[in-house]
Amino acid sequence: MNWFTSSFGSSIGKKLLMALTGLCFVLFLVVHLAGNLTLYGGGDLFNSYAEHLHSLGFLINISEFGLLFFALIHIITGTFLFLENLKARPVRYAVNKTGGGRTIGSFSMPYTGLFMLIFIITHLLNFHFVDKTNTTIYDIVTNAFSNPLYVMFYVASMVVVAIHISHGFWSLFQTIGFEHPKYTPFITGLSTVLSIVFGVGFGFIPIYISFIV
Amino acid sequence: MQLDAKIPGGPLQDKWDRHRFELKLVNPANKRKYDIIVVGTGLAGGSAAATLAELGYNVKNFCIQDSPRRAHSIAAQGGINAAKNYQNDGDSVWRLFYDTVKGGDFRAREANVHRLAQESTNIIDQCVAQGVPFARDYGGLLSNRSFGGAQVSRTFYARGQTGQQLLLGAYSALSRQIGAGKVKMYPRREMLDLVIVNGKARGIIVRDLVTGKIESHSAHAVVLATGGYGNVFFLSTNAMASNVTAAYRAYKRGAVFANPCFTQIHPTCIPVHGDYQSKLTLMSESLRNDGRVWVPKDPKDKRAPADIPDSDRDYYLERKYPSFGNLVPRDVASRNAKEQCDAGKGVGDTQLAVYLDFADAIRRDGKDLIKSKYGNLFQMYEKITDQNPYETPMMIYPAVHYTMGGLWVDYNLMSSVEGLFVLGEANFSDHGANRLGASALMQGLADGYFVIPYTIGGYLAGESLDEVTDQHPAFTDHTKQAQERIDKLLSIKGKRTADDFHRELGGLMWDNCGMARNDKDLAMAKEKIRALKAEFWENVLIPGADKDFNQSLERAGRVADFLEFAEIMITDALARRESCGGHFNDAFQTEENEALRDDENFCHVSAWEYKGDDQDPEFIKEPLVFENVKLTQRSYK
Amino acid sequence: MTTAKTINLNLKVWRQNGPKDKGRFEEYRASDISTDSSFLEMLDVVNEKLTIEGKEPIAFDHDCREGICGMCGTVINGRPHGPEKGTTLCQLHMRHFSDGDTIAIEPWRARAFKVIKDLVVDRSPLDKLIQTAGYISANAGGCPDGNAVPIPQEIAEKSMDAAACIGCGACVASCPNASAMLFVGAKVSHLGLLPQGKPEAAMRAISMVREMDRLGFGNCGNERECEAECPKEISITNIARLNREFFKASFFSSVM
Ligand SMILES: Cc1cc2nc3c(=O)[nH]c(=O)nc-3n(C[C@H](O)[C@H](O)[C@H](O)COP(=O)(O)OP(=O)(O)OC[C@H]3O[C@@H](n4cnc5c(N)ncnc54)[C@H](O)[C@@H]3O)c2cc1C
Ligand code: SF4
Ligand code: FES
Repeated sequence: MNWFTSSFGSSIGKKLLMALTGLCFVLFLVVHLAGNLTLYGGGDLFNSYAEHLHSLGFLINISEFGLLFFALIHIITGTFLFLENLKARPVRYAVNKTGGGRTIGSFSMPYTGLFMLIFIITHLLNFHFVDKTNTTIYDIVTNAFSNPLYVMFYVASMVVVAIHISHGFWSLFQTIGFEHPKYTPFITGLSTVLSIVFGVGFGFIPIYISFIV
Repeated sequence: MQLDAKIPGGPLQDKWDRHRFELKLVNPANKRKYDIIVVGTGLAGGSAAATLAELGYNVKNFCIQDSPRRAHSIAAQGGINAAKNYQNDGDSVWRLFYDTVKGGDFRAREANVHRLAQESTNIIDQCVAQGVPFARDYGGLLSNRSFGGAQVSRTFYARGQTGQQLLLGAYSALSRQIGAGKVKMYPRREMLDLVIVNGKARGIIVRDLVTGKIESHSAHAVVLATGGYGNVFFLSTNAMASNVTAAYRAYKRGAVFANPCFTQIHPTCIPVHGDYQSKLTLMSESLRNDGRVWVPKDPKDKRAPADIPDSDRDYYLERKYPSFGNLVPRDVASRNAKEQCDAGKGVGDTQLAVYLDFADAIRRDGKDLIKSKYGNLFQMYEKITDQNPYETPMMIYPAVHYTMGGLWVDYNLMSSVEGLFVLGEANFSDHGANRLGASALMQGLADGYFVIPYTIGGYLAGESLDEVTDQHPAFTDHTKQAQERIDKLLSIKGKRTADDFHRELGGLMWDNCGMARNDKDLAMAKEKIRALKAEFWENVLIPGADKDFNQSLERAGRVADFLEFAEIMITDALARRESCGGHFNDAFQTEENEALRDDENFCHVSAWEYKGDDQDPEFIKEPLVFENVKLTQRSYK
Repeated sequence: MTTAKTINLNLKVWRQNGPKDKGRFEEYRASDISTDSSFLEMLDVVNEKLTIEGKEPIAFDHDCREGICGMCGTVINGRPHGPEKGTTLCQLHMRHFSDGDTIAIEPWRARAFKVIKDLVVDRSPLDKLIQTAGYISANAGGCPDGNAVPIPQEIAEKSMDAAACIGCGACVASCPNASAMLFVGAKVSHLGLLPQGKPEAAMRAISMVREMDRLGFGNCGNERECEAECPKEISITNIARLNREFFKASFFSSVM
């Protein structure tokens, strides 16, 4: 193995991959959320936002491929980590109790991750890989959210995203070694704030559309 | 047998330099042809194994614990002395030498102690280079505290964990050599015998504590650094696995044992609180800087300490020693606590405790200052006793802490068996009849880092040693004996556990060969111990099997040796017709009940040679010659 | 000391006859246990009784019994070293339990720590980690004066915080992933913070992490259980520092 693969292949290297790709997703979510907020401005605003986005053309394609690539890294590395961690304790404890370190976010990372994967696939199938010839993206969205089951699934997914991020965000800074008595409290605080903002920001959209509009 | 300490000639200050020059050297390319066994991984053994490997020897290193890092040295709290004079307060190699000889009540060799003081400064440099995080001042320079009544600040420390940090330093050096393949480490092994071939130590027999297998290991020289025998008292501040077995087995093979009755009883320990108790915990001696020791004047006074007014308290140390007060040396403080409890004035449930009261100090300096000085100790005390020393006085009682006696060694740290070297607490060399605080760590590291690397080379270069492998008949024979002893132990299947015997032995030793001794009780204890030993070999109950991880069997083997060794301690105590340092015989005291030395007749090392199981050992005298210090009587009035 | 009383307990103890045995729980009654005794002394009492009854006593590791050697340690009701914060098992006193409690006692469980017998496990992988690079190469003799390089007090103290690790392995035992990052992080921090440890810092970080992976420890998930259970309260700041050192060493040093 050369230095590159052995660095990224090591336990810390794998965590680094998770952290860096995770950071990209958080940034992506910020942009995504900002765009989605146009939904509150009504169909025209949202549609024109979508149009604008698509007019970026090549740039958008690159970002999409980038995100896909990062997603693959995040998923594959995450799966490796999950399996290795299972293997690291072949005999489990009969009694399990936390000493106070774990949070809902931290212990559920692989499971919330898996749930999000399922969500993202449905999400892409519903809103991305759909026939958009005779309709607008706004109509697709309102149409989808007219199904209460889907709304429930969507809202639940956003709660899961929030949980994932509540641990993932501060944890990624810990992993890249950005840790400092002055800034770490801010980062852990931001972790909570971000997870609430994402959870509420995305989660309220279907409710807004199906109940209020 | 004649004992020759092999002390080099010339002025005291030049002896070590000169000796180092005169010692023969092993050619660097030849060092790898020599195998050396080091038993023990404490400060002495760990540092020796690492250093010998650095020089190029092949080292085999053994310890009882699962990792070399867990040797008992890890528990030392207070600090390590060194004559650096960083504080500019008048310290020097000579002063450290003088304090140590005097502290030992003039029963140690001048030449050894001077070498120790000389090497002390190198130890600090070595440890800093290894990454020992000693305490530092704001400017980043090393910080010192005064300790054990010294008039200068020469004690280096790493919080209350100095022993741990020094040991981790030695352990890391050792680990580096293990990683490099120069040291082969054998953890979870217990040395059961020493193998001597043609008059020279050539190997050891050990038991693998996991599989129960008896193994033989051969080498060109054997180094024992197996620590002290304080656990002969059952309850002590020593770790549970501390034992006399290795040293005692060497003794039975011909190494003479020096000053076995010199044991140190530390005055400030948490008292015994029940029969189930397994060990005692030391509270740092520094507490006596601010705490006042007292007992109720009236033995029948059972009021809570806070309800006893000053007029009904006896601050006995302050009363008896107005100039030193609560700061008298360890042996004096311990003996006085015992005296008070013997007079029925002891406090607490067991009445074997005295108060160490901080109320006045808190009133004077405020709780915060006391907390900053002793916070961690108070916390530890509370954890164990569930009492808050800020509000109610601590209860303390003396406990066995250190053994000055050990296998006799000459100036080269070689025992009376050629090729057998003994380092650290396991030897007798540097502390005389009483050890000063912070000097055991110094001795262990001086022995391991800076003395044995030279002297063992001198030995190996000067000898032509035959090829001996572990197939030699002596190894097969000793292996057989070790196995027979184990079989015997397991076959007894009696009614009492080894711990039970150990507890009884400890009680006998503590009561009769502890802080104060007298001929009658010593003789009585000797008889009782003989009977106990006989009972042990008929009535001990050891569960489990031989070829298995069997902690009961391990313990039983150690107790069996303690039972025999205790007798030698008593023999030595009876033979020393004086009181000095840790050995206080009621018959030899001044009018003020202080230890009365007899320099005329007892200024010597008492060494004992094994003569057979049912015979008293033979006494051998090594006279001590003092050319550089004047022998004086210690007074603390 | 004056408030001592006695309690009775039900123990569920893991018994296993060696690495190959499957192991099982066995139940024992611990009667008349003084609340002043330590957890290990309670086990002593149980063992003494088992021995007299002709049964095999429970094997458990211990030595100093004052919280510094790192030899003791079992999982008590799911918590390594028991329920008290910053306390080793030998310093855990029975007054923290109530009469009639049931206590489950299990060994450290991790692939890297094989069970030797009952509650005794093989922690030699921790030694192996130190042997790969957990040291400063400084042969005896010839070292510069201890005060030659001043070390800021703050740095010395931080280094000491990390050096306080007793190598007990509770971090591994408590980690949901059986990771040894706190142990390695503490060692890399202890040495790497000091000027004396800088020359080998890159090599140390890379070698120790590789060895850690090779020995079969899991991956850190920043779950913070180690920090919560560590008897010496070693902070996960040290893990962040290890991550940083590893990152620097992997991408910005010439160590391969
Ligand atoms: C609580 C406490 C606090 C102390 N504080 C201080 C202090 O502040 N300053 C100071 O200077 N001194 C202090 N001391 C004394 C000092 O710690 C010891 O004297 C010193 O550490 C002994 O070191 P050593 O290397 O000789 O032996 P140890 O550290 O006892 O090591 C013995 C080694 O030998 C091995 N061993 C033993 N028997 C066998 C056998 N049969 N087979 C194989 N291996 C064996 C053990 O496994 C171990 O590795 C303190 C002592 C105690 C108890
Ligand atoms: S980091 Fe803490 S839990 Fe882990 S080995 Fe060190 S002392 Fe034990
Ligand atoms: S027995 Fe040493 S730490 Fe518990």
